[in-house]
Amino acid sequence: MPEIILKNVTKRFGKFVAVDNLNLTIPTRSFITLLGPSGCGKTTTLRMIAGLETPTEGEIIIDGVTVFSSEKGINVPPNKRDVGFLFQNYALWPHMTVYQNIAFGLENLKWDKQRIRKRVDELLAMLKIEEFEKRYPSELSGGQQQRVAIARTLAPNPKVLFMDEPLSNLDAKLRTEMRTELKRLHIDTDSTFVYVTHDQLEAMTLSTKVCLMEKGLLQQYAAPLEMYLRPANLFVADFMGSPTMNFLKAKARKIGESACEVSFCGLKRTFTANKPLGEVPENVTLGVRPEFITIRPESDVKASVYSTLPSGMETTVKLRLGEEIITSVIFGSVDFPVDTEVCLAFNGSDMLLYDTQSGKLLADGSL
Amino acid sequence: MLNPFTAKQRARLRAFFSKPANIILVSFCLVLCVLTLYPLILLMVETITVHAGKEARATKLGAGELTLYSLGKIFAESKNSYSQLTFYEPLLNTLAVAITASLIAILFGGGVAWLITRTNLKFKKFISTVFVFPYIMPAWTLATFWQTFFKNVNVGTGTSNGIMAAVFGVFMPEWFVYGYFPISLVLGLHYAPFAYILIGGILRNMDANLEEAATILKTPRWRVMLRITLPIVKPALLSTLLLVFASSMSAYSVPVFLGSPVRYYVLSTKMMSLINNYPGQGYIIAAVMIIFGVSILAVNQRITGSRKSYTTVTGKSSQISLVNLRKLNVPIALILTVVMVMVAVVPLITFALESVIIKASDYSLSNMTLDFWIGRNLDYLDQGDSTGILLSAKVLKALGFSLLLAVTCSVVAGTSGVLVGYGIVKRRGSKLATAVSNLSFFPYLMPSLAFGAIYLAMSSRIPFLQGFAVLALIGSVKYLPFASRSGVNAMLQLSGEIEEAAVIVGVPWYKRMLKILFPIQKSSFLSGYLLPMVSCMRELSLFVLLVPTSNTLLTTMLMQYSEKGWAQFGNAINLLIIVVVLIVNFTVNKLTGASIDKGVGG
Repeated sequence: MPEIILKNVTKRFGKFVAVDNLNLTIPTRSFITLLGPSGCGKTTTLRMIAGLETPTEGEIIIDGVTVFSSEKGINVPPNKRDVGFLFQNYALWPHMTVYQNIAFGLENLKWDKQRIRKRVDELLAMLKIEEFEKRYPSELSGGQQQRVAIARTLAPNPKVLFMDEPLSNLDAKLRTEMRTELKRLHIDTDSTFVYVTHDQLEAMTLSTKVCLMEKGLLQQYAAPLEMYLRPANLFVADFMGSPTMNFLKAKARKIGESACEVSFCGLKRTFTANKPLGEVPENVTLGVRPEFITIRPESDVKASVYSTLPSGMETTVKLRLGEEIITSVIFGSVDFPVDTEVCLAFNGSDMLLYDTQSGKLLADGSL
Repeated sequence: MLNPFTAKQRARLRAFFSKPANIILVSFCLVLCVLTLYPLILLMVETITVHAGKEARATKLGAGELTLYSLGKIFAESKNSYSQLTFYEPLLNTLAVAITASLIAILFGGGVAWLITRTNLKFKKFISTVFVFPYIMPAWTLATFWQTFFKNVNVGTGTSNGIMAAVFGVFMPEWFVYGYFPISLVLGLHYAPFAYILIGGILRNMDANLEEAATILKTPRWRVMLRITLPIVKPALLSTLLLVFASSMSAYSVPVFLGSPVRYYVLSTKMMSLINNYPGQGYIIAAVMIIFGVSILAVNQRITGSRKSYTTVTGKSSQISLVNLRKLNVPIALILTVVMVMVAVVPLITFALESVIIKASDYSLSNMTLDFWIGRNLDYLDQGDSTGILLSAKVLKALGFSLLLAVTCSVVAGTSGVLVGYGIVKRRGSKLATAVSNLSFFPYLMPSLAFGAIYLAMSSRIPFLQGFAVLALIGSVKYLPFASRSGVNAMLQLSGEIEEAAVIVGVPWYKRMLKILFPIQKSSFLSGYLLPMVSCMRELSLFVLLVPTSNTLLTTMLMQYSEKGWAQFGNAINLLIIVVVLIVNFTVNKLTGASIDKGVGG
């Protein structure tokens, strides 16, 4: 079963470093997302694993076989790597019908006609595109083209499937629909998926593990929920989640084994860490997810409503606390008049303490 | 008394004409009908009209009466194999030349386009820069070069030896120097850059993902080429083939230099020789050429507009892995470089050399002089002028006239192009806009020489349409397709809101054009001015029938000198034209980014 290992992979375009010394192990049957803002090197990474791009340095191993090694001078061409690739713009061949597009890869494998027919029919049924068999790509809608592209990629039963932002050209409704189907497809095909996206929600909902990159550097590689609740640094914390996490500048003073006093927005509180604390610098940043700030009838923290954004199922409330504007998300639809005085509370033990200078996570705990 | 219905109609008319776009479209629709459709009908009438002179004597009819005499002569006169020699043979020659030339252009131009975009060929930069040179230079450049280089006393009119015979002592056979082979080759080489630009553009813009998708699915490289790349560029290939075919078919200057000395005629040269004595027959050949041209380009429109044609969307990865040519790399690069130098640089050197020797075929230093360029009152020059071309009043006058004509055509055609582009884009989809769009493209379909014949027919009926006026008019109309296409493209890139933002604050229309629309799309609009200008400078076939005397324009003067065998002056003028064209093109290119090689065929 294929496991993909990247060792010290670096890619430079001239002086620009697209991917910097990346180490990654992609376990068998996992659904890995390469996540990051545009230009962070995620697509380049994917293309290097597929063999469409040649790394400048490093080693790539797929299923125990070294497919690339700068030291040993190995570079297996993409057509020998036994992988599938789904392109962002689908890359359907405009001069072939849907059937021909799907069958093309199988013809290369020298399958006999009947077997090809059977496999294509199977895929057409699986992706619900039977009636388009004889059409040309230009006569299909975006969603239908997407399905054809998936069928074409799946046809030879690749054990590893690479997907480069496959949903970004679809409208919002179709995207949600396709997300559900991709997750289903991952189970049904029993193969390893590597998925590139810049949409953190897509990464959260789809993957077993997320690899977040920025400027060619790996920021964190963890399961989605862990990444959401315990982001390793301020960049990850800011990138994951919508609305974004509240970052509160604070001064800290260690007062015990696992406690320190933090002062922020004119408040003075005790931060109790879930584990014993190490060194705590003076300048820290408190990270608080909006859903952990609740509005209470009574509490000692007073704030005023800056604006309210109800969306039906939940309501985002922007609050003025001291000098800062903070975000709170509460369940249900509430509409506060502007400038109302409210009381709020910091709930739970998922408060995060970051070193402001290095941006590193120091501890998690409660306030 | 007006009834309320007409009042309503009048209100609607007033609303219609309150929009500048409508005024532009209606007026261009009318003007273009007069300038393209009317002369076309006129030409058809001329084919069955008796003209004074030999026609009137042969038919014993008065000038202006109707007759089928010319039609009979051209298509069905068996006496002395007249039709055979005047029409059928030239027609076959034309087809043979056009087919060969378009194949050469496609294979050579397309091949180089593939090498440049898809392989790791060396000297890419040099080759791709120099490759478009022959297209910028006048079409006859290579033809006159071929003639001066290979001519010898054994072939054709055989008055003197060219460099090949005089210096190297090699006497090339006649089929190599004149006729089918050199005409096809020279036309093919001239249009190869055109194929290169079109096919290279498609290959460059073609989504590399399409090829990568096939590679991932375990497709061998040759199969990717055969099953993916070629089919996708096929419509462009076909379209290039047809455009080059149509252009070579109507080419005049190349066959006149390389065919006429050995009586190898194509339709265009035959028409030219008929038009003075037998205008009716000349016009028939012109009509045949127009029918060919229009139907070929109609086929082209069908192909590019059909269901399986597609614009390829650019993918985000254009970093396609290049084919490694390995051992073939350097040899191919060297051969191409040598060919390019032969085609683009050596002709200029040859012209320079030929323009400074006193006695033909003697290339020793003692036989050289600059008198043909800057001599004054030297009787020994003996070529219709005793002064070198840079000082000769005659030449300078022609140069001035050529430039004036080029500037006039460029201003008229360019400005019309901007207006037409504005009108068409503003009223996109309406019947009127489609009509104007088609009408303004129509002159492109007409072979230059035949178009000239049409205007000749027209000018003979309209007294004030003579000399400069008719030249400027035909130039402007003929090059309108270039200009209107860049106008439309420029306007399409501008969103309507940009103009609407100015409409809201009450900026009048002319100010919107001058202060907002034009400055934003300066480069695109300016290329609409450049293309007519450069094309006009190097144009021969369009004007050759219409010039009052052959001294009028530099190009027709060159033609005359070449016919009279005044080699030194001819070569000097040739070089002068090429240099002027190159200077205009590269100056405008540097200043505005517009260049002739970015335009549509021609």
